[in-house]
Parts: sequence; C-alpha cells; structure tokens
Amino acid sequence: MPGPLDGYRIVEIAEGVAGPYTAMSLGDAGADVIKIESPSGDRARAWAPQTASGTSALFQALNRNKRGLALDWSAERDLEVARRLLTSADVAIVDKFGLPDALRWESLNAPGLVYCVMSGFGPSGPWSDRPGSELAAQLASEATASLGVIGDEPVRHGGDIGSMYAANYAIQAICAALYARDESEPTAPSGGQRIEVSLFGSLLAMRSTLWVALSNPDEWWGFHLDSYVKPPDHGYQCRDLPIYFSLARIRGDAFESLIDALDMAWARTHPDFDRLRTDGAGGAGRYAAELKPLWERGFTNFDAAHVIEIVEQHGGWAFPMHDYERLSQDPQVEAVGALVDVEQADGSALRQVAPPWDFERTPASIRRPAPRLGEHQQEVLSQILRSI
Amino acid sequence: MAGPLDGVRVFDLTLWMVGPWASMQLGALGADVIHIEQPGVDPRTLGAGVPPAINGTSIGYITWNMNKRGLFLDLKSPSDRQTAYELLQTCDVFMINMRPGAAERMGVGYEQVAAVNPNIVYTAITGWGEVGPMHDKPGADVQCQYFTGFWSVSGKRDGRPEVYRHFTQMDASTGNVAAQAVLMGLLARKRTGRGQRIHVGMLRAGMALQSGRIAEFLATGIQHQPLGSAGFAAAPDQAFRCQGGDWIGVAATSETEWLRLCEALQASEAESLSDLASDPRFATNLDRVAHRDELAAILQRAFAQRPRQYWMLRLSAADVPCGYPISFESLQHHAQAIENGYLREVTTSGWGDVWTGGPPWELSRTPARWLGTPLPGEHTGDILDELTQRTASTLAEQPTPIVGD
Repeated sequence: MPGPLDGYRIVEIAEGVAGPYTAMSLGDAGADVIKIESPSGDRARAWAPQTASGTSALFQALNRNKRGLALDWSAERDLEVARRLLTSADVAIVDKFGLPDALRWESLNAPGLVYCVMSGFGPSGPWSDRPGSELAAQLASEATASLGVIGDEPVRHGGDIGSMYAANYAIQAICAALYARDESEPTAPSGGQRIEVSLFGSLLAMRSTLWVALSNPDEWWGFHLDSYVKPPDHGYQCRDLPIYFSLARIRGDAFESLIDALDMAWARTHPDFDRLRTDGAGGAGRYAAELKPLWERGFTNFDAAHVIEIVEQHGGWAFPMHDYERLSQDPQVEAVGALVDVEQADGSALRQVAPPWDFERTPASIRRPAPRLGEHQQEVLSQILRSI
Repeated sequence: MAGPLDGVRVFDLTLWMVGPWASMQLGALGADVIHIEQPGVDPRTLGAGVPPAINGTSIGYITWNMNKRGLFLDLKSPSDRQTAYELLQTCDVFMINMRPGAAERMGVGYEQVAAVNPNIVYTAITGWGEVGPMHDKPGADVQCQYFTGFWSVSGKRDGRPEVYRHFTQMDASTGNVAAQAVLMGLLARKRTGRGQRIHVGMLRAGMALQSGRIAEFLATGIQHQPLGSAGFAAAPDQAFRCQGGDWIGVAATSETEWLRLCEALQASEAESLSDLASDPRFATNLDRVAHRDELAAILQRAFAQRPRQYWMLRLSAADVPCGYPISFESLQHHAQAIENGYLREVTTSGWGDVWTGGPPWELSRTPARWLGTPLPGEHTGDILDELTQRTASTLAEQPTPIVGD
C-alpha cells in the first residue's frame, strides 16, 4: 500500500539536520525524494561518530528514502539541471545559505511549487542574513535556560532540538501548502508558495507555555516559572539507577503505607514530613528539588525496578530513566515497533528510529538506505530529466 | 487571504496538552477547530491544572487552545451525543488523546465516527502506544523525557546528564507529529477520496525527535556523555567566554565555516592563533573532534582577548554562525523575534493579553494566523445555530427526511 504522500516529488538542497530530516520524513510518508549535494557532500557526512564502514551514523539516519545527486554550482550545466528538477517538483526544501540565486523562489518560474526555505533566524529582522547553527538558535531562544545553572557555562540540549523542531514545523507547513494547492490539472498544479521556517522561531514556539506563564500569573510558582532557578535535575537515584517518580494520587493511608514499604519510618520525625506528604514530587512538585534528598535516602536502599514496583502498588507514578542502551532493549519499545532495521547497500542492517505515524490505509515505509554521494546521478539524469 | 486549511473543520475532543497542541497548529493554518469541553467543567481542572494560573485557569489551557472555537458537549447525554454525530458529519478531522478504549466508551471510536462520516480523518493520540505492556499507563511529558533518554545527552561537561527542565517539549513534539499525521491524512484523502484511522503515540514521537542520537548509539554503541555547551558532531561548536565575561556560541560545522573562522581569528590579531588552519591536529572535522579539548583551549584564549560585541560583528561579517544567550525580557523587545512574529501578544477571552509564540511558519500565499484562546464553550450558541441552519437547508433540499438509526 502506498504512503499518504505517494506521487509527490521532493527536491532537497539542504545539509545537516533540519532540511534533511524534513525531506526524509516526507519520503518515509511515500514521497519520491531527490537529494542534491555539492561535490564535497552534505556537511553531516563528515560528522562524528562514524560507523565501522566509515560513514556518519547521523547522516545515515537522516537521509534514508532518498536518491542522491551531486551538482557543482560553478558549472552552468549543473545549475540548469537543478533548475529543471526544482521546477518540475512538487516540493523544494532548501537551506537559505549557500544556495545560488538562480535557484531561489524568486528566480524560478514554478507556480505550483511548494518551496520551503530553512534558516537559522527567519526571513525578517536584523539577523535574517546571518547563518544559523543549532547552538546559536538554542542560545538566542533561551532554550539553554532550562539546563545547567544560571551564570555558569550555558548547557545546550544535546539532541539537536532546534533543528528537529524546525523540521517538524516545516513538515506541517509543506503538507498544508500541498493541501491548499490546486491540483485539478495534475500535470500543471497551481497555487504553490514560499514557506520560511527557522530554528529560532521554532524553538520560541515550543516555549510558548513559558511565555504565557510569564504574562500575568495569579501567583509566582509552578515549574513554568521556577524551572529557571531550579537546580539541575538528575532524576531520583536508587541503588543502581535513577528513576522518574511522582506521588500522583498517593494520599492518606496509601502514603503512610508507602513510607513503610520504603523503610522510611525515620521520615515521620523529619521537619519536612508534612511537605513530603502533600508535595507532588517529580517534575510538578513545588518543593520537589528540596525534598528529593529525603526520597533518595529511602530509594538508595533498593534497586530501581523494586522502587518502581512499590510506588506503582501504592498508586503513584514511577518510570525507569533510560539511556539509549536500556531504551533500545525495553519491551515497550519493541512492542510498538519504534525501531526498524534499514538494509544498507552492502546487505548489512542499521537500526534506526521508525517513522512516528500509524496510518491504517496508507502506511509509511522505508524503501532505501541513505545514498552515497552522487549514487543516483545517471538514473536521475536519464529518467527524470528526459521525462520533463 | 485565508490560511492553507481554510474550509477544513476539526472535531477536537482533546485535553491536557498533546492533543490541544496538535489541533492548535491546524487552527493556526486556517482550519475551523471546534474544541469540545464538558458543560460545567471546573475551570481549575482545565489544562490539567498545571500551575501557574491566570484568573484561576491554568496557563496550560490558555496556551494550548489558541486558534479555536469553544463548544460544550456532554457525550454521556444521548441528545448531546446526537448533536456530536450531526456535527461530525460536517467535519473533516476528528482528534482525541485519551487512553485506548475511552473513545469507544464515549461513542466516538473510529467505527462509530466512520459510520456517520466515512471520509473522516480520525486521529487518536496515546502516550506509550496502543499495544505492549505499558499501553494503559499514564503518559505525560516528564515521564517520556526520562523514559526515552531525552535527558541522557545534556549536562555539564564531566557531570551527570540532566533533564530539560521545561516539561512541555515531548508533549508539543508529539502534538506536532500528530498535526503532521492529520495533514498527511488529508493529503491521502485528497488523492484517494477516503478517510482513515491514524494513531500517534508519545513514545515513538519522542524517539523520532531523537532520531540522530538514537541511531548513532545503535550504529556505534556510543552513548554520548554531556559536553556542556558543545555539540557532539563537530568541533568547534560550543560557547566561549569573551573579555568581560559574556558568553558567545560559535559553530564551524563544515570545512568552509572552519576556514572562515580561522581567517577571522587571524584577522583579529588575537595572540597564539598563527597556524590553526594548517595544524595537522585540526585538519578535518574528525581530527578536530578527536582533539576538541586542545582546540577549545586555544580558541578560549583568543575569545578572552576581545569583548563579545567585537566577536559577534567580526564572525557575522565572516559568515561564521554565532550567537549568545538572550532571556525572555530581552526577546520581548528583540527585533529578530518581533519582526518575524515569533513572539507576540494576543487577546484572550477571559485572561487578558498574554505573550505567546506566533506561527513558526511564514507562508507567502496562504498566511497562517494566531488568535487568542476562547472560554470553554464560548461559541456553543454559534456552532449549534450553524448546525441547525445546515440541517434545515439539507432537509429543504431533500423531500424525504433521512431517519437516523
């Protein structure tokens, strides 16, 4: 069964994380994606860490379901190839920086094209001409204020969140613009448009709950306000591993029984015992950070799995705090099919994260691994350009 | 000019954050999103009651329900359920985020909704998925951050990894993935003429957000340890302290940017920088990553010799990506945030003007919008009137009334 975007052709001229992930997602959803790289290749090919076969693991993970082409912008012929590919495509995904003027929206006569520009800081404003980066965007959007300690070296989120947020938004805008297109003449759609998405704008949108909280709150507490000044949160340490823990609905007798089950009778004479009983703990508790050492004094007598069991028996919430190794081995991850093996050109398999949507009638699919640089040069040039 | 989803109507039976966030994006893109709440709902329970509140209502409800109209419906009441089915006949999209089985008990499982509207794009959102040992556990942002390893790659260098202390990132990311799924479902319907059932779970959406880091672990066995401000993939890509103590973030993640950085540093005439570009320790990105501490020490000595403003100007002129920490009270007045509409004040029904993020997309032909939050049920009269008029005109066109089962 074809995916929801079967029949659409995407041309990507982008590097790193944001543009490539956007294009790959559309490919996972069934679109035909052609990735154009410079002769030196997408910068992510040179990023660490590299797999045993000498390719970037990140590049492999963000470029499946694409055919690859290498074009040299200093060659007039290559520019013309790119121009023809773009004008005959349904969607273009381009990085704002490094793109030749001849391939910009304004230069193409492509009335049906949905043309998505990815940038660091957005189309307007004093920084619109500055190249962005994951770090610059995280710093400028105060994303780094949710990590580390005020005044110390900023701590970035290590997961490329600005680029991934921008990609998630770009996928939305591209699909919405395709929906708004007039496709009554399938060979000559009209009503395309230019879309602009940036890392900075996406990170700011993702922190909207904070902006509302900071507007005019009735009282000045709650993690949307005091997360700025809370200490770094490493979870609740048990004997072996840390966990997430919240009292949730544990009240009254159940609370007293929980204290006994955790061998924490000593806490009843502690001056903070009343807070311990009424605070939600976990991320939502008003005094969670102050009370954590008390809980950990109890938890460190047991393994994480045992604490989770005790807390759940009493009606609370507790979850393991996985690193990627434990995550990849978790039975729930296996049960929902969150990881897939993607067959590589040499017959080996690389495990990657599966597309996140379940479509009952039009399932997503993984049809090919990431291309080698210029791997589909002949195929694309002969097949596609001939048919245009 | 109307938004790209002009004419699309969404039956929004969502609550807390994930579902409301998803439907809010569709509203921003022009859809008529009808957000359902229970009549007589205690305003203190809206938005899961997450503190702080404004005028007694959680900022969660206020933030996550912009760009919508409010409708009261009690799906436990037979007459309201009938109204829901009539309304569903006029809708393109149905959205719900309750535990598996809850929709069926309320009479709005996929089969039940498809019976009144076979072309509906029906989207169910769950926490841990619809199958597996954890499928009926509560799933919220903070649990998912801890469970999926989202915490495991951030923190001080040589310190323990730490959680991102803003517990909405998994919720909003899953909501964004669900909005994608709805849009893809609408595109598939445009081609095939058929609706379908779609599911999105926070566990898989949260893992997809970490596609790069997870795949790196699976391919190499490397679990990254926190590096403070530094990135794992390339070097240099981290913050340095400038003269006067301000931080600047500098990234050179391609060879071109590296050479530009070397040139700009040399032109600054800061000491101890003579031959960075030709130093064999720093020849390729992988060399620089392998020697990242030596490289950072050299660069730190250089950045400490000039103030941040100097470096921002110098590096920006050389097209080397750079930036610095900006806090909300500065962002409220920052031209880059304001001129792009990324931060804005909107007027809500009942909570005054509030700051929020604006549309993160700019669409040149069919622009997005960002509207304030309705009160629960605020548009009940309007929506029911529209429905009555539509039913009346449908009946007038058809001599024989349709008898419902």
